[in-house]
Amino acid sequence: MIELNPIIELIILNFSIGLIVTISLNIEVGFLRIPQFGRLLAVIAGAINVAAIPGRILALYLGLPAGIEYSDHMYNARIVLQIDNWLSQNPLLSVCIFLFSLILAAIIGGIIGYLCAYPAIRLKGAYLGITLLTFGEILASIAWNYPHLVGGTTGIFVINPFKFIGKGVSSLITLTILAIAILLFIYSELLARSPFGRMLKAIRDSEVAAEVYGKDAVKARSQTLIIGGAIAAVAGALWTFYTGSMKAATYTRLTWTFWPWAFMMLGGVGNNLGIFVGVLLFTFTRIGIILYKHQLGNILPIATEWLEYILVGLAIIVIILFRPQGLIPERPTLTLPRQDIEIIKRKAIESSDTETSQVR
Amino acid sequence: MLDVTLIAKAIVYSISIALGAAGITLIYTATKTFNFAHASMVGWGVYIVFTFLYFYGGIPHVYLPIAFLFSGALGIITYLLVNRRLIMVKASDINLMMSTLGVDLIYFAFLNIFADYLMYTHKIGIAKNFVLEARDIELNVYGANIKLTWIISPIVLVTVFVWLYTLFTRTRLGIAMRATIENPELAQLQGINPDIVYLLSWFIGGGMAGLAGSILAMIFTGRPSIGMETVVTFFAGSIVGGLYTVYGSFIGGFLVGLSEYLIPSLLAPVIGSWIYSFKMVIPLIIMVVTLLLQPSGLGMLIEKVIKR
Repeated sequence: MIELNPIIELIILNFSIGLIVTISLNIEVGFLRIPQFGRLLAVIAGAINVAAIPGRILALYLGLPAGIEYSDHMYNARIVLQIDNWLSQNPLLSVCIFLFSLILAAIIGGIIGYLCAYPAIRLKGAYLGITLLTFGEILASIAWNYPHLVGGTTGIFVINPFKFIGKGVSSLITLTILAIAILLFIYSELLARSPFGRMLKAIRDSEVAAEVYGKDAVKARSQTLIIGGAIAAVAGALWTFYTGSMKAATYTRLTWTFWPWAFMMLGGVGNNLGIFVGVLLFTFTRIGIILYKHQLGNILPIATEWLEYILVGLAIIVIILFRPQGLIPERPTLTLPRQDIEIIKRKAIESSDTETSQVR
Repeated sequence: MLDVTLIAKAIVYSISIALGAAGITLIYTATKTFNFAHASMVGWGVYIVFTFLYFYGGIPHVYLPIAFLFSGALGIITYLLVNRRLIMVKASDINLMMSTLGVDLIYFAFLNIFADYLMYTHKIGIAKNFVLEARDIELNVYGANIKLTWIISPIVLVTVFVWLYTLFTRTRLGIAMRATIENPELAQLQGINPDIVYLLSWFIGGGMAGLAGSILAMIFTGRPSIGMETVVTFFAGSIVGGLYTVYGSFIGGFLVGLSEYLIPSLLAPVIGSWIYSFKMVIPLIIMVVTLLLQPSGLGMLIEKVIKR
């Protein structure tokens, strides 16, 4: 199999995962203005699902310990290794397990989105944002403190469904993630152009007006949360498959909630092309900082990871202060290509002209 | 089980949460900005006390006012550079929140750079992991060992509370602040400058974050991420308090802190010691339940009782 240059792989990976999370955030924040500060919740749920469920099912099937022992760091590595070896002889099953895990993650994310709809319908603004943020913190805290689920503080290993190809596993997973990210991007673009997407934007701009036209704002809100939660959970699942292990400490609100927010605000809220550009810019900046760490370290008297924080913080502030609509502002989405709309317009004008001439 | 040390520590912790939560609420009521930067302001409070203690010695509590002033100054900087302009253009709730998040990241980065500076330039090995509790003074009152923090922190809480109360009810400035919070346009017609009111509330709110941090440092291990880790509890305190009266969030923060510290200890003998690892979950659950059952918070409940 092909093996990517590690740097290119890092760029593709960061970009794709960032894009998936930001797409899910954009569907909720950009299309419907739900202050989703709890993106971490669905992401970590997807990650927990991948770490805890497929491995346990296979362990049960193979007659290996699947209960508390599975998440015990004494046994976990050995159990996962056995499962991996068995999976490497069954390529078709491996792919099925991979897809099954992603679908399960999406379902769990959807359920979480549905549960989040309960407060999202009742609360608004800062209250809702903080409640959702808290939900995320509760799940992260449970994953961190409860060792029997995903190993708690020590973390556990995750099965590797691509072991059958031999070398270049990480490259293949990276390319798979990129493919899924592109598919989800197309989905999000189609969603924005669909009647549903336009309904969401109508509700966002004026809830009362949309309700006058018979649109159910409450239902739309819970549907949006379900879609967003499902996509975010898939991102968490993919990231866990790539890293090959699940450590609750690596899932923080900073990396999985606030940075996607920064990507989105930089590119343009509610605009798919904008978030694409935003994620791309941030990815290159971050990889650049990582690559030129030593050179930067010689020039600047500070540790370079703080430079990243300062840059992200400054980007957020500058964008909100001077260009709140983002680099690429949202434009009205057209249901048909522009040429078709022009033709229809022209026809309409012609027909009205003929009508008026007939009247004369 | 419950003993004196545990209860005393729980009270100190609750006082810290109460001060921080009240700071968040003060800024929110005045400027409609939910301040994420509170996390780093708390962290800076911790580090100010540590640094002064390291270079000038003495007892840690002497430096509380300096922590207040420093974090207050951070609040003023946030207002002047970021928040002021956003309030003028009437930015949305979400944009106000996100802007303070950007500020938080920058303050957090500078706090870490400062800790690095202490560690590598001044060769302070403990700069990223210190226990100020060891520098606390133990008093012997009638044969019982009492730490100075146990006495100082309630005094700080009462002082701040009484000061805020007199400010809001007895002084022209405080009444002007209340008027602006109630109705900015009407207050402006009366000749009140909202700019000064917002500036002052950022200063007091930020300063209270600094106080909260420096009290927190007396019971927890100090590290740059201390604010980041505890800030969700501060949020919980201010939401339980109702997010619109400062007095309510004093009570809300105190209750949240107390329950986080005491409930695991009370439950542990009954259901086992695993409950300790879920300590963090308790304040968050209290907050979620409050939001869903009584979204207006404790402040509203208390007001209802008083009016009756």
